[in-house]
Order: sequence, then structure tokens, then C-alpha cells
Amino acid sequence: MKEYSTPILQLHGWRRNLRILLIAAVAVLFLAPALWMISSSLKPDYEIFATPPTLWPISPRWQNYSEALTSLPFGRFAINTMIIALGSIVGHLLSCSIVAYGFARLQAPGKGFFFILMLSTLMLPYPVTMVPLFIIYSKLGLINSFTPLILPTFFGNALYIFLLRQSFKQIPLDLEDAARMDGAGTFQVLMNVILPLSRPALAIVAIFTFQAAWNDFLGPLIFLHNQSLYTLQLGLSLFRGAYNVQWAYLMAASLVVTLPVIAIFFFAQKSFIEGVGFTGTKI
Amino acid sequence: MKMLFRFLSVAIMLSLVLSACATATPSTPSTTDGTIVIRAGTGDGGDGLTPHQQIIQNFEDQNPNVIVQLEPVSGRDYYARLLTQLAAKAAPDIMQIGDDAVPSFVSKNAFVPLDTYLENSNFDASIYLPGLLDPGKVDGKQYLLPKDYSPLAVYYNKKLFDEANVPYPVDGWTWEDLLATAQKLTLKDTSGKVTQWGIQLPAAWTTGFEYWVAAAGGSLISEDGKSFVGAMDSPEVARAVQFYADLYNKYQVAPQPADMNSFGGGNSEFANGKAAMMLFGRWPQGGLKTNPNISLGVVAPPKDKVRANILFWGGFGIATSSKEADTAFKYLSFVSGEPGAQVWKDWALPAVKSVADSSGLSKDPIEGVWIGELNYLMPRAYTFTPFWNETADPALRKVLESVILDPNADVNALLAQAAKDAQAALDKIGE
Amino acid sequence: MWVGCTGTHYPPYPHLLNDSDISLALRSLHRNEALSFYIAISPWLVGFLLFTVGPMMISLLISFTDWDLLTAPLWVGLDNYRDLATDPLFIQSIKVTLAYTAAYVPLDLVGGLLLALLVLPRFKGVGAFRTIFYMPTVFSGVAFVVVWLWMLNPNGGLINLTLGWFGIVGPRWLLDPNYALWALVMMSFWGWGRSMALYLGGMQSIPGELYEAAAMDGADSFRQFFTITLPLLSPTIFFILVLSVITTFQSFTSAFVATNGGPLDSTLFLVLYIYRQAFEFFNMGYAAAMSWVLFAIIMTLTVLLMRSQKFWVFYLGGRSE
Repeated sequence: MKEYSTPILQLHGWRRNLRILLIAAVAVLFLAPALWMISSSLKPDYEIFATPPTLWPISPRWQNYSEALTSLPFGRFAINTMIIALGSIVGHLLSCSIVAYGFARLQAPGKGFFFILMLSTLMLPYPVTMVPLFIIYSKLGLINSFTPLILPTFFGNALYIFLLRQSFKQIPLDLEDAARMDGAGTFQVLMNVILPLSRPALAIVAIFTFQAAWNDFLGPLIFLHNQSLYTLQLGLSLFRGAYNVQWAYLMAASLVVTLPVIAIFFFAQKSFIEGVGFTGTKI
Repeated sequence: MKMLFRFLSVAIMLSLVLSACATATPSTPSTTDGTIVIRAGTGDGGDGLTPHQQIIQNFEDQNPNVIVQLEPVSGRDYYARLLTQLAAKAAPDIMQIGDDAVPSFVSKNAFVPLDTYLENSNFDASIYLPGLLDPGKVDGKQYLLPKDYSPLAVYYNKKLFDEANVPYPVDGWTWEDLLATAQKLTLKDTSGKVTQWGIQLPAAWTTGFEYWVAAAGGSLISEDGKSFVGAMDSPEVARAVQFYADLYNKYQVAPQPADMNSFGGGNSEFANGKAAMMLFGRWPQGGLKTNPNISLGVVAPPKDKVRANILFWGGFGIATSSKEADTAFKYLSFVSGEPGAQVWKDWALPAVKSVADSSGLSKDPIEGVWIGELNYLMPRAYTFTPFWNETADPALRKVLESVILDPNADVNALLAQAAKDAQAALDKIGE
Repeated sequence: MWVGCTGTHYPPYPHLLNDSDISLALRSLHRNEALSFYIAISPWLVGFLLFTVGPMMISLLISFTDWDLLTAPLWVGLDNYRDLATDPLFIQSIKVTLAYTAAYVPLDLVGGLLLALLVLPRFKGVGAFRTIFYMPTVFSGVAFVVVWLWMLNPNGGLINLTLGWFGIVGPRWLLDPNYALWALVMMSFWGWGRSMALYLGGMQSIPGELYEAAAMDGADSFRQFFTITLPLLSPTIFFILVLSVITTFQSFTSAFVATNGGPLDSTLFLVLYIYRQAFEFFNMGYAAAMSWVLFAIIMTLTVLLMRSQKFWVFYLGGRSE
């Protein structure tokens, strides 16, 4: 097992230094907006748009953070969002793997049609389907709860099904055939052969699902009415009044709200990027 | 295969269980042991929610068997949610909307007419300052009661006036006075770059522009609400647009907008002490008063042919789908009436006259200006046709954007085109 | 968990192991494979019927009506679609959306790959860099766009300020109809982290032995990249491509928050126009009709992309669709 599977990147000497320089430059570029947000979060509102702009606040207002986070029940919002996010991860991992395996490996008449059909569900913009969807959930009495946000994840998601399908198809048929030779049924093949080798893809599904749920705005906007059910994004949106915005609070709170997602990516990237790479069949 | 079935059934059971626990609160029943729950929707956000919560607290203290549940959504998303709820007949009992949304919602039967309630209860609708009931009326019937309001005015920074030794603007001044004052207060450095602007204007804000049109003695639409040609391209409107554009490009006393989408152009010059005046509504006043760069003064907008102003307004009404209309009205008269106004007065202008007088706001050198402007209100353009948003508004916006961005724009040609476009759109709807 | 550890042992016909005919034979032995397929996709299928087909069909019906969300819908047949053909704003929004997608998608594909290559090797602190590159995609909605609004401020924003140091007078970005759309494209560069993550995951499935073998045959890094890495990454590239096209066509937030379609409709994304018709003009039927036209466009593009798979996408697993 190699340290990294693509040796093109094993650079030495001046090439290596060039790469480090490049990474650093790009990093600064990518960090710039976040740094600005941090700087703005510590300023009083009127200083944020001062011209010429001040890089660091004249007198940093650290209390912006405590004031922002206590002005609304963000603790409650965080718990709500966590419930939705974790529920969604479970739902997606369970449902998308099975369905993706079907599309990746099993043959059946009409399969191509269903695949395109499934992809097509990604193509209709949300503003239009959300009204009929809301009416359906309303008739079922399920609005103003987390159900409309979590339940659909147990029925698969075209995006992740597609992603897992791509990943599953990468696994050599030989391994599966070997397992089937030993009498393994479809489900066992899935559990014992496919899934263990798909950890990177499954990790990506989990991370993206968490992030999507954490950042989802339209869904909670439509389905959650009671403020005690609000998610973090809804809470953040409340910093925008009808005619003026509490900029500093918005920046501060946005940064704090984003931390868990960043943290999860940071800890997960090690495992899905550097973890078990697949080295192929031995003959 | 057996495993597959087993697995699926476990997954399905798991999903049902999770969904069940995930419903944090069951949909609030209308009555549990006598408690009535009223849902109130609002588009306010930020610290604008605090007065709401205060008023709700006061109301609940006085009416222990009622709970009022505030459902806040700020900004434009508010309407997206409200409309979706209305489509499914799951709207809140009390809805707060802005003035220009009133005709559309009322014509689509979203609100309960309040006249019977007003007669039967002891509620006296004459407690309000002049002109504040009108935006909530359609065809003479009252549907909404006022929450808060704002006309336009000119903020000025006394510090900058003092430094330049320019006398403060006085009530009754004219457009020419405005130009002259702005020119005196526009300062440039040695390289010709502007270091201080005379006046900050709200860019391509279409509804705010109606003040200029009204003051020039014009109108953007005919009296019968059926034609734009002849109104939008009239000489009075052309004068208003030309004067406005000249402030930006010919005399260069107004800074260019920072972006076209932020409400009012996203400029921050006045707040940074880099512009001497600002024409806008009352909304940012709280922040401006505490801003160390500014010593704040407020004066009525200048007159031209006519002394005119326009009103921006928000109000509350009762949804027709509400099952607790009586209790909802109780809350409505509370939040919009004198008890509510006592709380609103610390956050915005109170709509109730007695509260405005007793709190001294009517005589206050700053607040009194806003209240005084209520005597000069001209009708808003949207009151002439329910299709304003999709016909004239985009056309007018285009004109304003064009004249601000392009110093050589031909105002008359642009207006003629705009009138045609708006007319075409209106005619199309009529089909 | 490695395959070797689960106790499977090798079949008795090793010389036929890679013969796809044998695989086929083995598979056709599974008479209930078709049934397995349908059971396997049943969770998705059920949810699809409940939560997707339902609303989709309803929205199709709505597109044949005139509905303001508050009063009863009024049947108008194909009128909405006819009106679309002569609606200059609709045509404008298609142009804007096509241009934006055509610019953004290739940049995303290439940019994400470059980023992934930069941070693939394991050196001290690489995790932090990967996270930094990924981080902007995590910031959602308003706060982030606002930061960009400030950076793009023509008078004192960071971008024009920096250009000024090089003596370039920057354009007025979001105020200039010729530059506003490109400003939005620039803003989306920060979304490359998502493709980067997908590429990084995809690179895991490339067997290291291939590189060893190629190196032994004398291929240098460049050669290895183009003959091994890229082809074996093609499933990932395909995924990102299809995904990018589908989602970029439906871009909404940046235009909604930053420009509201302006100035002069130069950033009027299609979904923004749909939202406006539905929730600001109360024309739900018209908005639904537009959505279905959008759907048709995306569907056509996707089918074309899917057909193209057999020309350039290579699945290591040994069977392509």
C-alpha cells in the first residue's frame, strides 16, 4: 500500500518548493473572504463598510459574539439542526447504498429508463415543487415538524445514489463473482464486498449530507413555523431585518454556525482521502 | 434475498421511529384545556422582533388563556413562506404585510374585512395619525390596521455642515436649495477625487422615487390606473428623472451606488461621515443616532412644484383561514392600538396619535419631522393598479439604473420606452 | 475490512477469472436478479412516487393554469408556454443561465482537479490546506455573498483596490451590465472545493500497482497522469460534470442576494425569474411552465452527456452502461 496512490505528485527540489508556494498562495486567496468575515464580526456595524476599509477593527468588539448568539435561542436551533442532520445521514446511507447497488450491478428491464428518471428529479427547481409538496405534507398533517425534512432521506437521494453508483462500478467484478461463487446473496455481497471498499464514497455522502442539512434554508423555511423548531440557518436569517441588517452579529453567528461543518470535514478528510485505498485483486 | 428483506424491513421501521421522535412538537392544537393559540406571522427580523415579543408578553399577561406564537421570517423570504402557507390554507391567524402587497392579498380574499369587528368592539379607529388607515383600506373597506410607517426625509450631518460653515437646511426648502447645499458640501482633494459627498441618494429604488415624481407634480400612471403612456413619459416625470440623474452624473454631488440590489443602493458614505446628507426613510435612524461619525439632524424633503411626500407602511390583518378570528381581533386591536403603540414608540414611530403626543415625539426636533410629513402624503402608485409590480416597477427600475450608470442617457427616450413597455405588459395581463 | 479477510477463497478456475463471459454466465444463473434490482431500488422508488412524482405532476398541471396561490386555479391550456416564447425576459434569462453554466462548469472541472492535485500528497499540515480549500463551499447564503459584495465594491472593495496596486482601474463589477455576470462567475470559484473533495475521493480507487508498472516501463509523471490518472478518474469527472451542469443551471442564491437579476437584467438567472414570477408577481402557473422548460433543457443536456459516456468514461469494474 502506497502512501498516496498517484505518484505524479512526488516532487522534489525546486518543484516541491513551487508547489508549496502555490498552495500557500491559493490558500490565502481562499481564506480572504473568511478572514474578512472574522474581521467584520468584531467591528461595530458602521465600521464594516468604512472606506477606506480597516483590516482589523479599531477596537475589537469581542462581545459581538456573545450578544449575537444570545439574542436568539441558538442552542435550541443547533439541537434542531443536529437532529435533522444526523437523521438525514442515517437515511441517506441506508437507502442510497441499496439503490446505488441496484443501478450499479443488477440488470433488469427498464433500468436505463429508471436511471434517467432518477436523475431527472434533480432537474426541477425547488421553488416550484415546494408548493405542491407543502400542500401534500399539509394534508398529511406533517408540517411544522422535522418529518418532511428527514423522511425523504430514507427514500434515497438522486445525487448520492449517482455518486455511489459511480463508486460501486469501480470495484472489479471479480471480487463480487468470487463472493457469489461462495454462495453469497445480493445483500451479503453488498455488505461484505462493496461497502467496505467504498468507504471514501460513503464518507463523502455522509459529509455532504451533513453539510446540506446544516445549510438548508428553503426546506426549514417552508416546513418549520414554530420558532422553537427553527434551524440555525433560519436563525441566521433573522439578523436581516426588513430594512436593515445587523451585519456584525450576522458575521459572528455565521462563523460560529459554520465551525462544526468545517471540523467534520477536517477530521473526515484524513480518513476518506488517505485511508484505505484499493489495491486490486491478487492473482 | 432473505437478508435483503430483513434489512429493508428494519430500515423502514427505523425510519418510522426516527420520524416519530423527530417531530419535536405536535402541530399545535387550537384548544387544549381552553387555551387558544394564535399564530402571528411577521417579516421583521433582528432587533425588530423585540417589540413584538414585548407586546405579546403584555397581551398574554392580560389574557391568560391565550398564547400568541410569533412566526418570524425576515426579508423577501417572508412572502415566499406566507404564500406557500396560504396556498395550503395553513396561514397564521395574524399576518403582517407591507403596503404594496395589500391590494393583491385583499383582492385574493386573504384577509378578513374588519369593519364589523370595528363597529362591534369598542375599538376607535380614529386614534391614528392622519393617513395611516388608508394603506390598509381597499375599496373603502378596512382590512388591515397599522403597525408602523415611514415617509421620506433628508438626514443631515451637523458636523459636516459646521465644518463647511453651511447653514442647516430648513423646512420648506426647494430642489434648487438642495442642489446648492449639496454642491457646497461636496469636497474634492487636490487630485480631483471626491473626499466628501453632498448627498447620498437611494440609487434605483423605484418606490422611493415616487417622492420625486410627486414633488415635480407628476404621476407615473393615469388616474384610472389603465395607462402609463401620457403619465410615465410626461414632462413632470422627465424633470424628476433628469434632476435625480444630474445629481449623480452632471453635478456629481451624489456617490455612485455600491450595488444595485441592496435596499437603497448599499451606500455607506453617510454612515461613514463621508456624505453630508441622505434622503431615505426612518429605518436606519436608530443606528445613525448612535453613530459617532454623525451629529444627526432631520429635515423634510425639499419641494419642487408641489410639497409632497409618500408613505411606506406595514400593517396587521386577520387571515380568512383563521379559525380563531375573534381572539385574533383581540390581539390585533391590542398590537395595533394604544397598548402596542406604547411599545412601538421606542422602536419606530407610533401610529396612535395620543401616544405620539404624550411621549413628546410629535414635538421632537427629529421625530416631529417624520410625523409632520404625514400632512403632505400623495397616494402611492401601487394604489392605482394591482399589477404595479410586474408592469411599471421593472420598467421604472430600468430607467433609473440606466440614467445612473450612463451619464449620456437620454431621459425622454428612456421614459418613452418605459411607458411603452409597462403599457404592453399591462395590456397583456388584461387579455 | 479487506476482502481477503472475509474468508472467501479463490474459485477453482483461476485462468478464467477475468473472462467476462464466465461472469455473465454466473449472473444469468441469478434468475431473480431482476427482482433483486427492483427490490434494491424500491426504497427510492416508493419515495420517488410519494415525494417527487406527486409534486412534479402537480406542478405540470399547474403549468397549464393561471394560479395566484390564493384563489382557485384557472385552466388556460398551453397559454403559459405560448407566452414564454414571446417573453423577452425569459429569453434573456435563458441566455444568462447558459452563459453562466458554459463558463462555470469547465472551470469547476479543471479547477477542482488542480486543487486536488495540489493537496493529494500527505505532508505535514496538508489536512489544514484541504480544509481551507473546502471551507468556502461550507459557508452558505447571505453572509458569504455579502462579503463578496463588499469585496466587489467598485469604490473601495478589495478587488478593485488590489487591481489599483497594479495600476489597473477595475470595472464597476456588479454595477456594470457587462461585468456583473462575470463577477458572479468569479464568486463561484470558491466553490471548487466541492469538486476537489470528489476528485480526492475518486483518486482512492486507482490501484497503486498501475503506477508501479508504468514507472517500470519508463513512463514519467506526466505520462502517468494522462494515461492512468485521467482515464481512471473519468467516472468521477463524469459525475462532477453531470452534477455541475444540473446544479449550475439552477443557480439562484448568488443572484438573489447580490444583484436581484440586475443591473439591467444581466444576471437574471432562470430560477430567479421563476421565483420572482411565483412569489412576487403571483404567477404560479407561468412559473411552473418555465420550470418545465428548464427541466426539458437540463434533461436534454444530461441525456447527451450520458450517451457520451461510452466514448470517454472508463469503469475499472469492467462493465460500462
